[in-house]
Amino acid sequence: MTDGIKRRDFLKVLGVTGAGATLAGCSTKPAERLLPYLTMPEDITPGVATWYTTVCEGCQAQCGMWVRTREGRAVKVEGNPNHPVSGGALCSKGHATLQQLYNPDRYAGPMVRENGALRPATWEEAETLLSQRIQSAAGNALFVSGHMGPTMTRLVDQFVGAVGGRRVQYDALSEAPLREAMRIAFGVDALPKYDIAGARLLLSFGNDFIGSGASPVEYGRDFSRMSAVDEHGSKGRFVFLGPRLSVTGLNADQWVPIKPGGEASVALAMANIIAGDSGAAGPYDAVLRAFDPRTTAQAAGVSEDDIRDLADRFKNEGPSLALGPGMGAHHRNATAANLAVLILNAVAGNVGRTISLDGGPTQAARPYADVEGAIGAMAGGQVGVVMVHGANPAFTLPSGSGFNDAFGSVGFKVSFAQAPDETSAMADLILPDNHFLESWGDSEPRPGLMTLRQPVMLPVPHFQSKHTGDVLLSVGKRLGHDLGGATFYEYLRAAHEDLHTPAMGEFETAWQDALKKGLVQHDVAPMHADAQLRAPDAALTFDAPALDGDGDLTLLVYPSPRFGAGEFANSPWMLELPDPVSKITWHSWLEINPETADARGLENGAFVTVTSPYGSLTVPVWRYPGIREDAVALAMGAGHTDYGRYANGNGVNAMELLPAVSEQPSGALVTIATKVTIVPTGGGRRLATVEGSNGSQEGRPIAPAVALASLTPGAGHEPADEKGLKELQGVGGFVPVDAQGGTPEAFPLQGSRHAPYDKPEETARWAMAIDLDKCTGCSACVTACQSENNVPFVGEDQVLMGREMHWMRIERYYEKVDATAASDLDVRFLPMLCQQCGNAPCEPVCPVFATYSTPEGVNAQIYNRCVGTRYCANNCPYKVRVFNWYRFTDAIPEPLNWQFNPDCTVRDNGVMEKCSFCMQRVREAENRVALEDRGSIPGDGEVLMACQQSCPAEAIVWGNIRDPNSRVARVSANQRTYRVLNEEINTQPAVNYLKKVTFHEVEAEG
Amino acid sequence: MKKHWLIGGTAGVLALAGLAFMRVQDAQQAANAESPDTYPSGQPIAFPHNIHAGSQPGQNRMDCMYCHFSAERSVDAGLPPMSLCVGCHQVIPGTTNPQEVQKLMDYWKRKEPIPWVRIYKVADHVHYPHARHIKAGLQCQQCHGQVQEMTVINKIDPAWGGHNMGWCISCHREKGASTDCAVCHY
Repeated sequence: MTDGIKRRDFLKVLGVTGAGATLAGCSTKPAERLLPYLTMPEDITPGVATWYTTVCEGCQAQCGMWVRTREGRAVKVEGNPNHPVSGGALCSKGHATLQQLYNPDRYAGPMVRENGALRPATWEEAETLLSQRIQSAAGNALFVSGHMGPTMTRLVDQFVGAVGGRRVQYDALSEAPLREAMRIAFGVDALPKYDIAGARLLLSFGNDFIGSGASPVEYGRDFSRMSAVDEHGSKGRFVFLGPRLSVTGLNADQWVPIKPGGEASVALAMANIIAGDSGAAGPYDAVLRAFDPRTTAQAAGVSEDDIRDLADRFKNEGPSLALGPGMGAHHRNATAANLAVLILNAVAGNVGRTISLDGGPTQAARPYADVEGAIGAMAGGQVGVVMVHGANPAFTLPSGSGFNDAFGSVGFKVSFAQAPDETSAMADLILPDNHFLESWGDSEPRPGLMTLRQPVMLPVPHFQSKHTGDVLLSVGKRLGHDLGGATFYEYLRAAHEDLHTPAMGEFETAWQDALKKGLVQHDVAPMHADAQLRAPDAALTFDAPALDGDGDLTLLVYPSPRFGAGEFANSPWMLELPDPVSKITWHSWLEINPETADARGLENGAFVTVTSPYGSLTVPVWRYPGIREDAVALAMGAGHTDYGRYANGNGVNAMELLPAVSEQPSGALVTIATKVTIVPTGGGRRLATVEGSNGSQEGRPIAPAVALASLTPGAGHEPADEKGLKELQGVGGFVPVDAQGGTPEAFPLQGSRHAPYDKPEETARWAMAIDLDKCTGCSACVTACQSENNVPFVGEDQVLMGREMHWMRIERYYEKVDATAASDLDVRFLPMLCQQCGNAPCEPVCPVFATYSTPEGVNAQIYNRCVGTRYCANNCPYKVRVFNWYRFTDAIPEPLNWQFNPDCTVRDNGVMEKCSFCMQRVREAENRVALEDRGSIPGDGEVLMACQQSCPAEAIVWGNIRDPNSRVARVSANQRTYRVLNEEINTQPAVNYLKKVTFHEVEAEG
Repeated sequence: MKKHWLIGGTAGVLALAGLAFMRVQDAQQAANAESPDTYPSGQPIAFPHNIHAGSQPGQNRMDCMYCHFSAERSVDAGLPPMSLCVGCHQVIPGTTNPQEVQKLMDYWKRKEPIPWVRIYKVADHVHYPHARHIKAGLQCQQCHGQVQEMTVINKIDPAWGGHNMGWCISCHREKGASTDCAVCHY
C-alpha cells in the first residue's frame, strides 16, 4: 500500500484522464476472457459447490472438516457433522486455516541460502542438496516436528531411522503435565477423556477448555450441553478456580479467585474433606491430611467456608467433574496440580463416570524437555543436519532456551515451513510444505478414530510447494532407501490397507467410503477401565510454586484464543477478531485489575514497562475486573518479527519475559514462572477495541438474565409488558405500528410501510433464536460469518476509528465480577447481528430505498442501490450496519482474495452492508427445492446460517418461524424469550434471544 | 519503489496532458476494436453457433444443453469443456471452415484452453440462476436471441436489452415472478 503512486496524486491524474475518457465515451477495459476446461473433472459442475471431507490441522484437536470448493478453489470450511470431535462445528482458528492456505506470504518455492541470502531453487536442486548434506552428516540428523498424523509420524521416524538420526516432537502448547499426572496416578500414559456434558457440577482449576484447550470445539459443545438449562428446568453448575478469568472462566456461575499456583492445595483440601476417614484416596491419604482446609484456604487467598461448601457440593451435587489447569497454565508444580485434581476426582468417584482413562486426545502431550535435549545436542555439535517441520521454536521458546544459538550453530538447517517464520529465517534450505488443504494425510484425534485428510484442491499455483512426505520419500530414494511408496499418497493408502480388516469389506470400497465420510472407526478395547490410584513414583510438591524475581505482580502468560502460540498471527481474520475476553483487536495488551491500576494511576491504554528477571516489554494496559489484584496477564502469539506482512511488528511476544524452565517431572515449559514489576512510561495509546460501554449495559435491558428459581418448567413464551411501548406510541413514537401479538411470526405488521405483501401465509418468515444460556462467547460465529460473507478486514488504524466491518460481534457485559473473594459470577455474552426488524428504523431514513423488508421478513440491503448516506447506520439502535470506507476488498492481495465466496457480492467502497441472514445460502436452497419440485420454501434445517453452523455451543437456531413445527418456532416458545430493546423502541426484530439463566437472583431489568 | 507522478510546474502539466491524450487514443482504439463491424476477429476461433444448433439444411440441430449442460442444473450456463468439442471434431474435420476446426485441435494438442471473449455478463451484484429460469420454462432465445441462427454472437442483439434491469423486471412482472430486489441482489 505504501508503494506505487500516492492516492492523492492518483486522484489528480484520474481527474484529467477521466475527462478524456468521457469524450471517447468508452472504457479501455480489455475484453474479458472465458477459459473452458480442457476436460471437465467429473465432480465439478460450474456454479455448484463441491464438498470434500478432511481434517483440520489448526491445532492438536483435529476436528473433522467439510470444505466447500467452487471450481476447484476452497472457499469455506465447516465442521464435519459425522465427526465426533467437531460435531459439525468449528472454531475461529479452524476458519482461519483458509487464510493460511491463501497466505500471500507463503514461500513461492524452495529456497537455498547462498552467501548469506536466500535464493530461489528448483525442487530437483533442493532435494539433491538435502540428500548430499544428510549423507555428509553421517547419521547425525535431527528432525524437529510439530504435531503430525500417525502415518506422517511413522514416515518421519522411518526416514530418520534410515538416514541415521532421531526425531523430536515439539508442541508449543502441551498437555505434558496432565499426561505425566495420569501416569503417576493411574499408570496410564495418555490423556483422560472428560465427559463434561455428563457432569452436573463442573470445576475448572484454571483450565481454559473453551478458548485454548486441547479440544475447544468438542469441550465447548459439551460444556454448553452441561450448563444450559434444559426443559425440566435443570442446569449444571460451573465453578472456576483461578487467578484470571479466561473466556471459559467468564462462563462460570461462581468464581473462586485463588492465587496463581494454589490449585493443588485447594484440590487436595477439598479431597481431604470429601474423603474424610474413608481411605478413598488410597495411597494419597497421608498427602491429603497435610492439606487442612483452614490453612490451605488462607494460603490460596480464599475462605475456608468456600472450600468446605465447594467440597460438599462436589460430593453431593454429582455427577461432578474437576479439570486440572490445562495447557495454558504451567507453573513449576503443574504436574502436582493436575495430579491433585485427578485425586479429587478419584475420591469423589468420578473416575469411570465423568473421567474416562481411555479415549482421550492423543495429540500434543510432548514436553519441552524433549526439545531441551535436542538444543543441548545441537549446541554440543552433535547434529549435522537439523530439519524443522510444523513448529516454530525460534518464536515460541523463551530466548533463555538457547534454541537460536544452538540452531544457528548447526552446519545445515532445513525448514519445511509453508511461509516465513522466525525459525525458517535462519535456515539454509527451505522446502515449503503443502498446506493441509492441499495434502494427503490422516490423524487420530482419539484412539481408534482414524480421520483422513485429502487434498481439496490442487496446490495454490502461486506457490511451488511440495508435501513433506513426498520430499522425504524422494530424498530417501536418492540415498538408497525405499521407505515404502513413491508418493506419500501411496504410503498413506498402504498404511490404511494394513489397518484394514476383512470384516470391513473390500478395501477399495472402505477407502472410498472413508474419504466420503472423512473417518474410519477402528475398534479399540478399553485398556484402563479399572485403573486405581497408585502410589506416586516421583517426588512432588503440592505447595504453591516458586516464582522468580521480586516484583509485586505474578505474570500469567496464556495461549491466545486467536493466535494459539502464534501460528495464526498472520491471519488478518484472527488479528481483527475481537479477543473473546478483552474485545481488543490486532495489538497486545496487559490485563490488570482496576484496583491495581488505580493504585498506579493507570488508565486503559497507558503504556507500562513490564520487567521480569528475564526481560522487559512495553505494552498498553487494559483494566480487567476478571483478574486478581496481585496478577497481570499477557497473551502468547503476538510480536512476530519474521512471520509475514500482517504479523510482523504487531504486539509483543510474551515469551521474552519467561525463563526457559521445564517443570518437573513432566518437563513442560513453565509459563507462570515469574513475578514482574510494572512501571508506567508516561505515554499511552487508544486501544483498538470494539467495546463501546466498558462492559456495562448502562441500565439497558440488552442482555437480561433470569434466575433459575423463577423459571416455571414447561412454560411457554409470554409477550412482554408493552406498557412502555404503548406510551411511546401515544406520543407518536417514530413509526407507530400496531404491535398487537408482536412476535416475529406476525409479519408484515399492520400499518407498517412495507405491507401488504401477497399471501404472507405462503411465504416464510425467516427468524433466528439465540440461547444466551448456551453461548460461551467463543467468537467462532464471527469468523464463520466473515468467511461466508466476504466481510473485509480493515486494519488496526481503521478499527481505532470505529470502522471495523464485522457483520456479527459478541457483546460482553459484566454484571457481577469480584476478584477478591469467592462469589457468584455473572458475565453476559450476546451475539449481536442485524436483528432483521419487522419495523426497521433503518428503512424509512434511506433516501434511495436501498434497504427494505423482503416478503420473508429479512431486512435486505441492496448494495447497488446504496449511495452511502449512512443515515441507516445512524438510525440503527443495534449498531450492526457497517460502512465500506475504502476499497478494503480491493486491497486484499492475491491469492488471499481467492477465498471470496463467489455466491456473495464482494462489496466496494461507499456502500453500507450488514448481516443478510446468509441470503446466498437461502437462495441456493430455494433454487434447489424449486428444481426438485419441492415447493418454494426450503425444509427446516435445510439451510444453516454460517454462524449457526459453526457454533460449538449449538446456541443459534434459524428457520421459518411461521411454521410452528420448525426448530426456531419451538425454541422461541420459551418463557426466557425476549427481543433486544423491542419493548423500548418497537423494532419488532426477527431475532429472538433466550435469557441467560443464573443460579443467583437477578434484577428484573438487568 | 516510490513514484511521484505529479511534480509541480509546467513539466508536470505537459506530462499530464500527454498522458490524457494517450488515454483518449487508447480508448478510441478499443472502441473501434469492439464495434459490431470488426467484432468477430476478437474470438480466437470463429465458432458458428448456427452450424451447430441451427435447423436449416446443412446445420446440425444440436440442443443448447448438449454443450451448455450446466445451465439446467446450476446458476452458471457454463462453457463446454474442450474435450466435448474434440469428441466430435476428431471425426468431423469441419465442412464449412476446416481451418477453424484445426485451430481447436491445435489448442487441444497444446493443452491450452481457448481464450474465448466473453459476450454476456450480468454485473457482479446480480445473481442470475440459469437453472431456475429454464425450470420456469424460459427458452434460451428469450434472453440470448436466436443464437441458432447466428454465425457470430452479438451482444447488441435487441433481445438482450443491453444490461437493463427494466428488461428483467418486465418479464418478471409478466410471468408473476418475484420483483423483490433481494431475489437477484444480495
